[in-house]
Amino acid sequence: MPPPVGYLWTDDGGRDVSGLGLAWRLARRELRGGLAGFRIFLVCLALGVAAIAGVGMVRSAIEAGLRDQGVVLLGGDAELTFTYRYATEAEKAWMAGVATQVSEIVDFRSMAVAGEDRSLVQVKAVDDLYPLVGAPVLDHGTLPEALATVDGVPGGVMEQVLVDRLGMKPGDHFKLGLQEFRLGAILLRESDNATAGFSLGPRVIVRTPDLAKSELIAPGTIYETHYRVVLPAGADLAALQTEAVARFKDAGLQWRDSRRASPGVQRFVDRIGSFLILVGLAGLAVGGVGVASAVRAYLDGKVATIATLKVLGAESGLIFQVYLLQVGALAVVGVVAGLVLGAGVPLALAPVIRASLPFPAEFALYPVPLLEAAFYGVVTAFLFSLWPLAVAQRQRAAALYRGAAGRIWPRATHLLVMLGLAVVLVGGAVLFSGTYMLALGTTGGVMASLLVLGLAALGLQWVARRVARLGWLRGRVAWRLALAAIGGPRAEAVPVILSLGLGLSVLATVGQIDSNLRAAIERDLPARAPSFFFMDIQDDELPGYLARLHGDPSVTKVETAPMLRGVITQINGRPPQDVVGDHWVVSGDRGLTFSDTPPVGTTITAGTWWPKDYSGPAQISFGADEAAEMKLPLGTRLTLNVLGRDIEATITSFRKVDFSNAGMGFVMSIDPAAVAGAPHTSISTVYAEPQAEAAILRDLSKAYPNITAIAVKEAIGRAAEALSAIATATAWAAGATLLTGFVVLIGAAAAGERGRVYEAALLKVLGASRRRILASFALRAAIMGAAAGVVALFAGAVSAWAVMTYVMDGTYQFEPWSAAAIILGGMAATLAAGLVFAWGPLAARPAQVLRSQE
Amino acid sequence: MNDTILALKEARLTLAGNAGPVEILRGITLNVERGETLGLIGPSGSGKSSLLMLMGGLERASSGSVMALGHDLTALDEDGLARFRRGNMGVVFQSFHLIPTMTALENVAVPLELAGVPDAFDRAAAELKAVGLAFRADHYPSQLSGGEQQRVALARAAAPRPAILLADEPTGNLDATNGAAIMELLFALRDRHGATLIMVTHAPELAARCDRVVRLADGRVA
Repeated sequence: MPPPVGYLWTDDGGRDVSGLGLAWRLARRELRGGLAGFRIFLVCLALGVAAIAGVGMVRSAIEAGLRDQGVVLLGGDAELTFTYRYATEAEKAWMAGVATQVSEIVDFRSMAVAGEDRSLVQVKAVDDLYPLVGAPVLDHGTLPEALATVDGVPGGVMEQVLVDRLGMKPGDHFKLGLQEFRLGAILLRESDNATAGFSLGPRVIVRTPDLAKSELIAPGTIYETHYRVVLPAGADLAALQTEAVARFKDAGLQWRDSRRASPGVQRFVDRIGSFLILVGLAGLAVGGVGVASAVRAYLDGKVATIATLKVLGAESGLIFQVYLLQVGALAVVGVVAGLVLGAGVPLALAPVIRASLPFPAEFALYPVPLLEAAFYGVVTAFLFSLWPLAVAQRQRAAALYRGAAGRIWPRATHLLVMLGLAVVLVGGAVLFSGTYMLALGTTGGVMASLLVLGLAALGLQWVARRVARLGWLRGRVAWRLALAAIGGPRAEAVPVILSLGLGLSVLATVGQIDSNLRAAIERDLPARAPSFFFMDIQDDELPGYLARLHGDPSVTKVETAPMLRGVITQINGRPPQDVVGDHWVVSGDRGLTFSDTPPVGTTITAGTWWPKDYSGPAQISFGADEAAEMKLPLGTRLTLNVLGRDIEATITSFRKVDFSNAGMGFVMSIDPAAVAGAPHTSISTVYAEPQAEAAILRDLSKAYPNITAIAVKEAIGRAAEALSAIATATAWAAGATLLTGFVVLIGAAAAGERGRVYEAALLKVLGASRRRILASFALRAAIMGAAAGVVALFAGAVSAWAVMTYVMDGTYQFEPWSAAAIILGGMAATLAAGLVFAWGPLAARPAQVLRSQE
Repeated sequence: MNDTILALKEARLTLAGNAGPVEILRGITLNVERGETLGLIGPSGSGKSSLLMLMGGLERASSGSVMALGHDLTALDEDGLARFRRGNMGVVFQSFHLIPTMTALENVAVPLELAGVPDAFDRAAAELKAVGLAFRADHYPSQLSGGEQQRVALARAAAPRPAILLADEPTGNLDATNGAAIMELLFALRDRHGATLIMVTHAPELAARCDRVVRLADGRVA
């Protein structure tokens, strides 16, 4: 017997049918329609996730390489470093007591001379035990063979770049100081290269005993000694570190061990990795715009279905669930595709990446970066889908016969959820990157850019609507059509300007920062910077040295200052880290000078310089800016360890120290009596005409072989090289962002194709030629591209200004070439995307198109 | 005994238009008795479809009251109206409005699933058989003719045994043969289930089969 009429109805509003089971059943049926509408959604999400996963994978590979190779990178289980001196007997005895093997290395800068050619080098003088772990890779033979003395001439190995620079071949001779060496082999790879090549001079390795006659390690010379130790199995590194630091920290000991063999490199990789991931996040935000557009377009096509379901009794909650589940399922597909791509590409290219990196990398499937990328992908997908979903669920049943309602706003709860997701995304970025200022800055910048771009898009539509009605446009059909299309309902302006604009903003920021840094290094700095730094000048060499320079008319200025190195071990009797944290002034040993009177040009900002021939309690003049950063007032007591001796001195004056022109800058200047008798050398800066530089270098190196010269231009070149590598990596990440932006553009162009087909058909009926229609399509694309470019330029300039001013502590200057490229690039991209989808509309026959619309 | 199933009192419908508010219905007062077949006729733009949608809770009256089965539809929100329709109203449209991604069987099963009926698919299959389309159960709407699609829509409207069947020009998109077949089915369903049928039509022969005909003109009962 059939059930009675109205049997399903209950007065409490019917049964609860909002269960996920039904929602999933309906969602599955909906998805049968295929993924055609979701291609852009999937590509955007996959690209964004892949970029982040890829960067994360490479970073993890390097971190694993540094960790696994820790002992080899360090050349032992632990390393104790002393500045300016060898270990004392007590220190050596302690090392011998805890270690099974101890190897001593002396590291310093010097000049290698071969014939008339000379070059700054980083010398590593080693003992017979070197290396305790690992082995350097040479072009032939072993290290002992290469360093062996042949016919009374000891051997040395040097890097290929230096061999080329000095025009040498194995067997040729070169000099370090007064000592002659034979090039025993070419150093292809240093196994214990913890600095990863970030040094001013290429590497030379020789035996320490062979340096005895070089006169390079004289009192006052700047050098470091490293004691690598091999510890018994099971040794407690943390406990040994605590003990060593407790015993010898005040004597200037620095400890490293295989747990973090290369903290500098690790920090660098960490920072660059985080930065690139944040750039990738900007890419994902661009993808988010594509996700939102795709979901909106999909749901626009579902208005009838949603209204039908509502007529049949579906509540808005169920509608929301049905489409949320679909988006969720697709988000999973997109994220997984992105993870496969992001993990697969680095794994496939592992040999190439490994060969191009100066540090070890262990490529494998690392779950953490993949989880991080998946997290960003999932949150972004939901954040950007939520608005169209929330709007769709509010679609009324009446839409079935009256068409979709006008502007519908999401409920307040959904807006709150979106805000929550944004917070989760930013929080995740902060947590994962570990650099909260950078993460907040980047995510804040991206959100602000999205807001500005959104407003700009709406503004452009408003302007287009008004301009299209102006009298002077009558008769200019292509312009009027283009403007009407931009300003009209359901125009592409918003997604196009958002996606392309954000992609271009990232590129504009990178471009402006890169141009500014290059300008600062290549143009501004050399104009004010000296030609040379000369170091390790002994007191008895100073008169001759100065005579050579003062007698040269091409030399415009020479500055000299005595120099020692010291470590601040206490501030007002307390460990410095407790007082000023990890400020760079207390993070290691610093240069220190002394002078009876303030050197010419010194500006004392507070306090007074000590009197001439002062011999009371030690006084220090401290850099004014650094003191302000460290919040040190006049009267602060500093304990300095200079050559193992503690000197307690009071800050009695502050003075301006300018580090920006690569000239001489000492944070600390002490009264001469405090360091009387301490061995020291002088440092000197020489400002000379470029054409005289080679002769000055040749003369001074010949006369004083122990003096080390740093050619500032060369050093700047090295810095520019390092910068260029970083800029290239950043440009790649920004390129991924732009690629995603282009995909979104293609999506927007494809979504608008149907409308353009209809428009073109109508225009043809009304007598428009294909050329005129094409001109209208091209115009609207170019206008939108230019608008996106202009806004991107503004956003990029503001971001670059913020980075240059607050992060780099430099000055910002607008770089017009990079800017012009951004605007033209924007126009080219929209034109390309727009015109690709213009052929269909132009080719379609009007009768067919118009009939199909009926 | 007087058994009013639908009662409209001074019901008005005003919608926002580009050139200002547009009055679609201008104060309709109308009672429909249980089991009655009511025909709504009138020229295009007279407000027939809008009145039908007001009765089905698909539109909300701007003023006045719409009582259905003792419930004040103007007091229910969009979700409340959806829940109310679930067991009480079946709607048949001129353009069928089948869900294109679902088969005929699934389309008929949807209102039953929404109502939480455990054997929704068995019941849906029986309804499809009743309209002579059991052999088309697994076909998608795009694989069905217009007449077949409207038969599926009829089966879907009747499946939850609603007290009120609303039909908005159900034969408007069909040729004469298919239109006649659909009307036979619609009246047969009404007779079998004893539902109240309210139908918008332009066809005089259909209007003639109704118990009562209400003519609308310019948003008012003429």
